[in-house]
Amino acid sequence: MNVEGQVALITGGASGLGAGAARILSQAGAKCALLDRNLPLATELAEELGGMAVECDVSDGPAVEAAIAQVVEKLGAPRIVLNAAGIDIAVRTASAKGPHPLDEFERVIRVNLTGTFNVARVAAYGMIGLDALDDDGERGVVINIASVVAQDGPVGQAAYAASKAGVQGMTLPMARDLAPYGIRVMTIAPGMFETPLAAGIPQDWIDSIIPTVPFPKRWGNPLEFGALVQQICENTMLNGEMIRIDGAIRMGT
Amino acid sequence: MNLNNISVVITGGASGLGAGAAKLFIEKGANVTIFDRNLELAQTTATELGCAAVQCDVADETSVLAALAEAGKINGTPRILVNCAGIDITGRTATKGGPQPREALTQQIAVNLTGTFNICRLGADAIRELDDLEGEEQGVIVNVASIAGLDGPFGQTAYAATKAAVIGMTLPMARDLSAYGIRVVTIAPGVFNTPLAASVLRGEPDDYAGGVPFPKRAGKPAEFASMAVEICQNPMLNGEVIRLDGALRG
Repeated sequence: MNVEGQVALITGGASGLGAGAARILSQAGAKCALLDRNLPLATELAEELGGMAVECDVSDGPAVEAAIAQVVEKLGAPRIVLNAAGIDIAVRTASAKGPHPLDEFERVIRVNLTGTFNVARVAAYGMIGLDALDDDGERGVVINIASVVAQDGPVGQAAYAASKAGVQGMTLPMARDLAPYGIRVMTIAPGMFETPLAAGIPQDWIDSIIPTVPFPKRWGNPLEFGALVQQICENTMLNGEMIRIDGAIRMGT
Repeated sequence: MNLNNISVVITGGASGLGAGAAKLFIEKGANVTIFDRNLELAQTTATELGCAAVQCDVADETSVLAALAEAGKINGTPRILVNCAGIDITGRTATKGGPQPREALTQQIAVNLTGTFNICRLGADAIRELDDLEGEEQGVIVNVASIAGLDGPFGQTAYAATKAAVIGMTLPMARDLSAYGIRVVTIAPGVFNTPLAASVLRGEPDDYAGGVPFPKRAGKPAEFASMAVEICQNPMLNGEVIRLDGALRG
């Protein structure tokens, strides 16, 4: 679909990958609704881009329904959904400090996996009621964010990898579920991108991993992530697939 | 990589996916040379699109070297290779009629696999010799596999083997060439509206798109082209295989 004039709902849109995509989609003429737990930060970017900001915890069912209702009322019904909200922790399954705290595991699953599904299901239901955009019958596109961690499995990432592998695993069945309504579902698996989420990674680990990126040997820029998001929106043949965007990195090799 | 004034070679560019890619790369300001075994068709397409055409058999080293040199003379040494040249010989491994001819495999390996590798190695070697472009990137290789290489439809053993091999080359080739600032990405298309698909399916590709979840039609070469252009423009895409198939599993 042509993104110009469309409403794009971006979770975690206040910073990082979500913000990078918001900038690119805004430039292409989309109206961006930034859902974030950090309302002041989301508001700042929304004002810059001429979009709107809504405070939202993606893992909370009623909160997501209320947030999307606000977006529909103010900007119109979103046909583009980007699930960029996510959290990361680094804890080993068991170490001398003890077993991995179970509540920490469940928190990561709740935000990254359940939160992604939660927004996708509510937003997709909203799209089903919209008119088709073209002869293909396209109504919308849902873009989820997994991570190369889900496939590569670096140490200390059991919870994060499980949540992101869950997102990867949802891609094809969700695409098949929503295909009759002309809604596409794609997943992006980023490698090392310069985001606030990555700022929590220990510096010695970063110093050791960036040199292992084959090319380009640097952090990814959220705007490069945003360019791929735009391509996915515009290219109707992209459906049910996960794309790694990572400079060919394979973690732990 | 910004495509403006960049020399681009597109193999199998006379028709189908390659011709679609040529059209969009030209629109983006690239200087395109079409390589094809069928020079007459390549020239017709090139005239229509406004680019150059050179005869080339990708499986043959001498032919590729000569074609690359010719492209270099016309448009400068190519920094982008989009490898669309391919053939598809269908047939079951064995049937009541006998075993599948061995040549079904060897011929497809020669074009789809060895041909792709051949132009990659010669093209990359030429990029390596060029003066550095400003910025981090020196070249991009886009290879074309197929979802047949991943899904394994019947009657496609030999074709699937060659396309799975192209998929398998992607990551090691990206690693091999990363030191020279050359990226390698593979597209695995589903059913597209091309002469190759029409001949394999013995009919209009759109009529065989009923099993595609969405969109329920064959892909357009322009959509393949859009993906190829995004790959060339986005420096973080490297070493990856991207299915472009409307979620079809063959």
